[in-house]
Amino acid sequence: MIRIRAPQETAAGLFLVVLAAVVFWQTSDLAVGTVRALGPGMMPRVLATLCGICGIALIVFSLIKDGAALERWSIRGPLFILGAAIVFGLTIRPLGLFVAGIATVILGSFASHDSRFVESVIFGVAMTTFCWLLFKVLLSLPIPVAPWLLGY
Amino acid sequence: MEAFFGNLELGFTTALSLQNIALCFGGCLIGTLVGILPGVGPIATIAILLPLTFQVDPTGALIMLAGIYYGAQYGGSTTAILVNIPGEATSVVTTLDGHQMARNGRAGIALGVAAIGSFFAGTVATMVIAALGVPLTKLALIFGPAEYFSLMIMGLAFAVVLARGSILKAGAVIFVGLLLSTIGTDLQTGDERLTFGMIDLMDGIDFAVLAMGLFGFAEILRNLDNPETRDVVKTKIGRLLPSMQDFKDSALPVLRGTFLGGTLGILPGNGAVLGPFASYTLEKKLAKDPRRFGKGAIEGVAGPEAANNAGAQTAFIPLLTLGIPPNAVMALMVGAMTIHGIIPGPQVMTKTPELFWGMIASMWIGNLMLLIINLPLIGLWVRLLKVPYRLMFPAILLFCCIGIYSINNDAGDVLMTAFFGFAGYAFYKFGFEPAPLLLGFVLGKLMEEKLRQALILSRGDFATFVTSPVSAGLLLVAALVIVVAILPTVRKGREEAFLE
Repeated sequence: MIRIRAPQETAAGLFLVVLAAVVFWQTSDLAVGTVRALGPGMMPRVLATLCGICGIALIVFSLIKDGAALERWSIRGPLFILGAAIVFGLTIRPLGLFVAGIATVILGSFASHDSRFVESVIFGVAMTTFCWLLFKVLLSLPIPVAPWLLGY
Repeated sequence: MEAFFGNLELGFTTALSLQNIALCFGGCLIGTLVGILPGVGPIATIAILLPLTFQVDPTGALIMLAGIYYGAQYGGSTTAILVNIPGEATSVVTTLDGHQMARNGRAGIALGVAAIGSFFAGTVATMVIAALGVPLTKLALIFGPAEYFSLMIMGLAFAVVLARGSILKAGAVIFVGLLLSTIGTDLQTGDERLTFGMIDLMDGIDFAVLAMGLFGFAEILRNLDNPETRDVVKTKIGRLLPSMQDFKDSALPVLRGTFLGGTLGILPGNGAVLGPFASYTLEKKLAKDPRRFGKGAIEGVAGPEAANNAGAQTAFIPLLTLGIPPNAVMALMVGAMTIHGIIPGPQVMTKTPELFWGMIASMWIGNLMLLIINLPLIGLWVRLLKVPYRLMFPAILLFCCIGIYSINNDAGDVLMTAFFGFAGYAFYKFGFEPAPLLLGFVLGKLMEEKLRQALILSRGDFATFVTSPVSAGLLLVAALVIVVAILPTVRKGREEAFLE
């Protein structure tokens, strides 16, 4: 009977196969070209084929040899860390560093179980001020500081 | 010989300008400061600190980056000794005896020997780079597209074999990296490739975006999943200066480590990672009483640390002379150089000699500075080690966000980095190691370009890769390395080497 003996490997293999399929689908309208003049579609498809082969091999081996289990994915970490980054990306232009920075630190802090709210508020203000001093005052990078208040 | 000293003189005049000394000093200091934080490896450190160099001229920026790199390396060793957390593969060995020495109340001596050994190794390696720079650059100029392509194949073959975990997975990761590099507008035909209709992807994925996603964000996610057990040494650091006996015990291991690490570091494809392991194994074999190893033997710190630093240094050789980064950290350096408009390769030395030699001279100055600033600042570093992770990661997060935004002043980049952060997290859950991906990504564009050029020159004949003796030799080595790694007996040996 076929049984998955190494779930992590199976998942990795499936990921590669799906990736290869997506690449083939997306490059279907690109010319492969000839050997003398390789077309734009050649490299992606050759590489996708190699990825796919690796993926199939991983799946096959995962049915034969025992291996690692698939680890649990946590939701809290990715949600708050990546969420905080996205908030930074969306707010930096319209609202500037002081809003985006403090929001990012406070929101990001929720990713850890043992963070404390008041502490992260204070830390957010301190870190943002530090970054303003470092990047804006000292290194004069063109980062909006507080356009709604200062106009830059 | 005269040219050798003339070049070094040019280098030192460049590196010893007030601004460049300050940048070198700043780089070393900040590099150590961030590199010492547990859970922040050299790749993450350089990625986070990249924006600090944006406003500096290219020469100064490279000098500062090199300083950050050494600082990060040295910070990693300090964490390995004091907290038992290796920042990267090459400091794993240092944790074995270094941390034991620290527990025996000899933390200071371990740090001192590591610093002095690294300084010696760095000095030798700098001279090796200066000596090999000119001849290797000449070699590079006779390399045609076919030879370049084969050289990169060989480098990637080494990277596959030397990566942790299964060879199949390491290979797959490199293919994914190469695949990511094909995203964007095709240079020859102007066709859009794999852009999914997104304007942001038309110029391809920004290198820094990928690196910060995979090594900045994903590393935070990984660390949050595995709450670290920090084993900060509670005993006193003690005196830093090793005694005469310690010097005697570590002199030969440092010499051997420097030789091993320096030689392996030149190999394309992350040979540097082997240095510390090789040195540790050698010292254990040569020791009169091998049982002392793992219990705080000073040779087990001195040798691998010297090997580590020598390799970290000579890894610059393939990058500076051939333009081919041998590992992920050097791939990051390529990315940094490109941001400053420098394309690494043989032309750097001929076109901008002051940049090339200035950087080499600053390598030595950087090593000296590490020795000078780190020994007195140990107390501060120990306090830094106690910063809880719940404060560290939001700060890293903020730094990454600001850094990515300032590369192109593009808020979209931050969103894309978040995507790659998630991808990096998925990779970790699938058991893929992300470092080879970065290497594949950087080499990908160059490989495709050289492949196309070679095939145009040979009028579509693939035989061009085997008729040229250099290219054939390189491909043969690549094939051999892979075959040897796949043979089961050798594979067992490889796993043991990494376990040790």
